[in-house]
Amino acid sequence: MLPQRLLSRTAVRSAFKPSGLPLIAPATRWTRTYASEAEEKDLVIIGGGVAGYVAAIKAGQEGMKVTCIEKRGTLGGTCLNVGCIPSKSLLNNSHLYHQILHDSKHRGIEVKEAKLNLTQMMKAKETSVSGLTKGVEFLFKKNGVEYIKGAGTFQDEHTIKVELNDGGETTVKGKNILIATGSEVTPFPGLQIDEKRVVSSTGAIALTEVPEKLLVIGGGIIGLEMASVWSRLGSKVTVVEFLDQIGGPGMDLEIAKQTQKILKKQGIVFKTGTKVLGGAQNGDIVSLEVDSAKGGKAETLDAAVVLVAIGRRPYTAGLGLENIGMELDERGRVIIDSEYRTKIPHIRCVGDVTFGPMLAHKAEEEAVAVVEYIKKGYGHVNYGCIPSVMYTFPEVAWVGQSEQDLKKAGIAYRVGTFPFSANSRAKTNLDTDGMVKMLADPETDRILGVHIIGPNAGEMIAEGTLALEYGASSEDIARTCHAHPTLAEAFKEAAMATHGKAIHF
Amino acid sequence: MASFAATACRISSRLARQTLLQDAAVRGFRTSAAALAAQNLTMPALSPTMTEGNIASWRVKEGDKFLAGDVLLEIETDKATMDVEAQDDGILMKIMKGDSSKGVPVGTRIAVIAEEGDDISALEIPPDEGLQTQEAKSDPPAASSSSSSPSSETAPPKPSASDGASKPAGGKAPKQTYPLYPSVAHLLKQNGLDKSAIGDMTPTGPNGRLLKGDVLAFLGKINAKTPAEVSSRFEKASHLDLSNIKVAKAPEAKAAEKSAAPAALVPEVPSVVSLPVSLAAVIEVQKKVQNTLGVFLPISTFIARATDVANDELPLPAGATPSADELFNQVLGLDKIGSSRGSRGCYNPQIAALSQAASYLTSGRPLSGKRPDIIDMLSGSSRGTTKQKPTRPLTPGLSTGPNLFSLRVPRAEEKRAQVFLERVKLVLEKEPGRLVL
Repeated sequence: MLPQRLLSRTAVRSAFKPSGLPLIAPATRWTRTYASEAEEKDLVIIGGGVAGYVAAIKAGQEGMKVTCIEKRGTLGGTCLNVGCIPSKSLLNNSHLYHQILHDSKHRGIEVKEAKLNLTQMMKAKETSVSGLTKGVEFLFKKNGVEYIKGAGTFQDEHTIKVELNDGGETTVKGKNILIATGSEVTPFPGLQIDEKRVVSSTGAIALTEVPEKLLVIGGGIIGLEMASVWSRLGSKVTVVEFLDQIGGPGMDLEIAKQTQKILKKQGIVFKTGTKVLGGAQNGDIVSLEVDSAKGGKAETLDAAVVLVAIGRRPYTAGLGLENIGMELDERGRVIIDSEYRTKIPHIRCVGDVTFGPMLAHKAEEEAVAVVEYIKKGYGHVNYGCIPSVMYTFPEVAWVGQSEQDLKKAGIAYRVGTFPFSANSRAKTNLDTDGMVKMLADPETDRILGVHIIGPNAGEMIAEGTLALEYGASSEDIARTCHAHPTLAEAFKEAAMATHGKAIHF
Repeated sequence: MASFAATACRISSRLARQTLLQDAAVRGFRTSAAALAAQNLTMPALSPTMTEGNIASWRVKEGDKFLAGDVLLEIETDKATMDVEAQDDGILMKIMKGDSSKGVPVGTRIAVIAEEGDDISALEIPPDEGLQTQEAKSDPPAASSSSSSPSSETAPPKPSASDGASKPAGGKAPKQTYPLYPSVAHLLKQNGLDKSAIGDMTPTGPNGRLLKGDVLAFLGKINAKTPAEVSSRFEKASHLDLSNIKVAKAPEAKAAEKSAAPAALVPEVPSVVSLPVSLAAVIEVQKKVQNTLGVFLPISTFIARATDVANDELPLPAGATPSADELFNQVLGLDKIGSSRGSRGCYNPQIAALSQAASYLTSGRPLSGKRPDIIDMLSGSSRGTTKQKPTRPLTPGLSTGPNLFSLRVPRAEEKRAQVFLERVKLVLEKEPGRLVL
């Protein structure tokens, strides 16, 4: 009897396999209504970018019931999908290509016929991106974060309606709600971004061919990184910047000048102090009318592709903020207090959509802090100690105040610099462009700012950030052992130069 | 705004717990002196902005024991009244600030507590550390006048509280418990200073760390005010500048103010999942078997076997924690290729006859779709899930027609139970013959 029973059971069991089981479908639909109607979450996060996903994971780790709503279809937001990550892939690989073409010969490596396969380069980029976004999704599952793919809209102060990407809609209720909707590209008035001829950073990392000429409006970090990529791959690049300096207002003036000189040597043409009056598209050519910012003679620049990189602006479209009477400031930022509370205390906001620098790592810090505020009543971000990095070659990185900041504020300071041309590792690498510059209080020697241009500056700035966070003096760094031969020795020597004298310069 | 007050209250008491927790952690490390010293309990900061509070009342009397989680006292701030819970078991040795003490500054000693098992008559009351450090901080004539002493703002009374706890009775605790900065250590040696001299210096670094500038100021090599001035600049830069916010003009359409629903805790109610199942097919098979084989199979056999089969590979309950590999496979979509994840259930449905007329009402919809209404629960007129049943006439026992199969399961397992019942229904209604042949 028994074996027979087993046999028959297997037969019946086969009936449960996916083939022809109409009963399962209603079950899933039923679950969805359950999730929306019954459960009030501890935290509902709108936006799965760096701010949103980090907050979601942190909240999950803190044992909160958390839901993250993201409409892109993949997590990680601008940074992982169309920002930091894909651009770094292109920067790294285009640098390799450029080095093989122009730099390998005198190092003793002769390469015959180095050829660019742009499709493959883009594929490598996509592999990195999808690996990382899926990694975040994995972390969501690991930490018990509910992930809803769809666009969230405030219905009332506690309820968010989600228009699901797969069709249909649901609602989520939260005791706490976090707005982390991030930012979008600021469009240039008069130019329609089509991501083919007139592109934003999103289109600039996905061009299907190397444009013969590329015009970049905006000489900030995004503009210069993209200019570097396409210039290395063979495009003639012109950067038009309204200010007199490149790199944005945060970059130290001395460093910015040196950067401009080095990038110019790489073939990028700069038009600083230049205003873009307007643009027009004629078939395959986009032309820009530019003029000296101080007034001068206008000229017209033509290019196959124009990149608009004049900055980013907070993104709150479709969020239904009007339904809850939420206020924005004049630049569209969500108004918060020092604990990231909006005017409705259980709704908080972090990341690009509110105040502070629009940087992924700043958003990440805030995300952790805001969850700590909700859960533990206190969180902390030190806004005076957030590093910035530009991933050109050489890289530029800084933390703390710049020389022009200090001058403007009338604060006394002492400067110490050390050039990479005097650093042994940089010499062996044959990459000797750049320097480390340190600013310290003349009396107490406490470090006020660190500015680096040079190979691996982005990694090296971590040491400066740590020093600043601990209130270190330049002597503290100078008295700390640094391995030889490393680029980091230049950092130590710059510290020595700040309060005394460098040994090797 | 009731919800706001509630949240504030909740958060603040968490904070208080955290402060106490730190206290407790320090105690944890101090093994040998554990049962010999009393500790100061200081006024906790229940919110980041709180500077002082009133003690409403003590819930524990002097000499009484308390357990972790017991409410020790009630504190009134300008915002709300909050309970302060004990983090550890102990004895309340002496109350320093009695009921209705007003305006007690944060960090001030409010009581002395001893550990469980301590003989409190033999214990020495430790000196009030909080008071001493506060005095020490306001002592140096430098700094504090020009900038409202930023260092004391960055370092709330926590260090003093832990100092008080970590120190066995008597003696002065060193302020610098971490390795000195290289420059500081160097300057001390160079100037022939003893480490004890550190106690006389004013640290201006983050979290009260002693910086090179502080030593230089102590030595009189630089202006005594400079370190504090530099520090206050850093303090300012460490916050987002939220002054001068210009609010954008509000769009005309003004949203109607909706008061938030009170956030109430709903107790975990096991949900009831049920499904009507017709046993007509089973009875037909039963008859057929009896006619052809001459064997009578009771209906319970059919049901037991259907239950057995349906319990196989059920979807996991909502709260189940899958392994990292499984999670990553899910993200990559590999889980759909391999065998479906699931585990064997152990459900046994309750069966009640359902009268023929009412069967169309249920039409496969679960009864548990609705959560019990909090208002109903509070007013006592519960019309929750279980009470919905009387709308369908039920009779105990089996009927030859439709029967209601129901399961009482934890909320997390609703879906799992639902799948189970659907399978039972499928087997019993469509092919009961395969269960016995």
